[in-house]
Amino acid sequence: MKSARSTLLALHALVVYAILYGPILVLMVFSFNKSRQAAVWTGFSFDWYVQLAQDAELVHDAWHSLIVALVATAASTAIGTMAALGLAGNGRELSARAARSTTTALVYLPIVIPEIVMAAALLTFFSITRWHLSLVTVMAAHISFTVSYVAIIVRARLIGFDASLEEAAMDLGANRVQMFFRVKLPIITPAIIAGALLVFTVSIDDYVVTSFVAGTDSTTLPVKIASMVKTGVTPEINAVSTVLLVCTIILVVVSQKLMTGRNAE
Amino acid sequence: MKNRRLFALALAIVAVVLNGCGKSAPVLHIYIWDAYLPPAVVDQFTKRTGISVTIDHYGSNEELMAKLASGVTSYDLCVPSDYVVQPLIQQKLLHGLDHARLPHVSNLTPRFVNQAFDPGNQYTMPYLWGTTGLAYNKKLVNPAPDSWNVLFDPAYKGKILMLDDKRECFVVALKLMGKSVNETDPATLRAAADMLKKQHDLVRTYDSTNYDNTLLSKDVVVAHGWNGQMAKVVSDHPDDYAYILPKEGGDIWLDNIAIPAGAQNVDAAYQFIDYVLEGETAAQIVNGVNYASPNEAAKAHIDPKILNDPNIYPPDSALKNWEYLNALGGATDRMISDLWTEIKAK
Repeated sequence: MKSARSTLLALHALVVYAILYGPILVLMVFSFNKSRQAAVWTGFSFDWYVQLAQDAELVHDAWHSLIVALVATAASTAIGTMAALGLAGNGRELSARAARSTTTALVYLPIVIPEIVMAAALLTFFSITRWHLSLVTVMAAHISFTVSYVAIIVRARLIGFDASLEEAAMDLGANRVQMFFRVKLPIITPAIIAGALLVFTVSIDDYVVTSFVAGTDSTTLPVKIASMVKTGVTPEINAVSTVLLVCTIILVVVSQKLMTGRNAE
Repeated sequence: MKNRRLFALALAIVAVVLNGCGKSAPVLHIYIWDAYLPPAVVDQFTKRTGISVTIDHYGSNEELMAKLASGVTSYDLCVPSDYVVQPLIQQKLLHGLDHARLPHVSNLTPRFVNQAFDPGNQYTMPYLWGTTGLAYNKKLVNPAPDSWNVLFDPAYKGKILMLDDKRECFVVALKLMGKSVNETDPATLRAAADMLKKQHDLVRTYDSTNYDNTLLSKDVVVAHGWNGQMAKVVSDHPDDYAYILPKEGGDIWLDNIAIPAGAQNVDAAYQFIDYVLEGETAAQIVNGVNYASPNEAAKAHIDPKILNDPNIYPPDSALKNWEYLNALGGATDRMISDLWTEIKAK
């Protein structure tokens, strides 16, 4: 009985993983295809990776993606963490509670709003304010819809924060600044890192919003890939997707190593 | 120490960002389809004029229109397709062209200038062109087709691919009825829609991006499609596949280079357009992207393999009944959209 159950469970897991990773595996395998067409396997080659490395436009656009993601991550993490700290404030009057619940709802909005609406709204905003589209508008847009992720994650960590730790630190002679950097910040750091990582991954593969607000010299990798598909799916697209995938996986693994290492300390 | 390093990194990023906004050196901003302008052509322009160039890509004409309509872009050049030129002109989103500043305009082949969507080429210059035809698997389709009829042949039920594009599908039905691709008569359009509705049972899939691969993987044996991707399939597998221009006729697509109304560097844009109109440059573009150029002077410099490929440069005789798609106007557009929904929903 028990072994039948575990066989079923294993089978179930296998199906789930096959559905999750099958398409990605196919994509990676076909990036080594010799043929110019992506669908028919004709032989193994690294040609598409060589072409990828020599494709100056693609590399240029990849830099755009990286710069935008780094700036968005830095800014969103700072703003989002501050927002979470503010939202976790402990004013008990009715007005403070009302302000807190309204602001919390507003923080959730950018995540629940359909992305296409967010994109159109941002483009309209830039249009009304006569802000010319460039890499800077892409960064501003990315920051505006990623702040919420950090704020929510950090706030969740703060909800479980034991206020007596704060009181104990102050009792032992720490001032508010020392208390914050020595007690509160170390406790919420994993949440901040998790939020930052999420922002980075959301920003680096965003297509919808970016395609609306990108201007001169600000085509990012996802926008470039979408325009490449228009003139035919070649294994070069598989190759660039594979590179992006591998980089993301490395990032996630490294960050997990960092976080477990920190916890072990 | 650590903080100082972070601070330096932040400064470096700000410097990179601000550098992008700087207006000191002349820069030309081009907004174009992907794989439509070989890097060597751009480098040569920069070497010759000292103007550096940035390139951004869009994936659809609609994306281009939305961007230009926002009024806050700084693109100096864009390459809209035939059917969006008229709406762009009507919305005053294009900069008028002074032909006196484009001495190489005389290089253009007469059949590609002075189109209905831009009479007198007051706003646009033709850049590259092609056809919408059909490709088939030579081993699995017998006899060799010469008509759009093969897309309606029950013998190939479940092995037919149509472009996921309402105008292109209506072109097929309208041409089989002997009508114009720009037909606006509601009764005729309804009859065309009935044909396409009947065809729906035979069609494996409607697809505008991956049709070449679907044909190659033998999921379909005959596919409606644009010549660029089909020409690549045929040149890679000449024994197995062929691309044809059906005898009833169809539509020619024409992409055009234009200066958007908000251009920041109109002088550089003029220089670039005229540079592209030079025969040698146009030929270099054709050799790099495998599409046909509307430039007569280019022919002397084009790789003979491309120039003699009938899938890229069809002979004039094959294009007798071929027309350009025009913007049809609100009422007809809506009607075609509604009929298309009916066809796809069946």
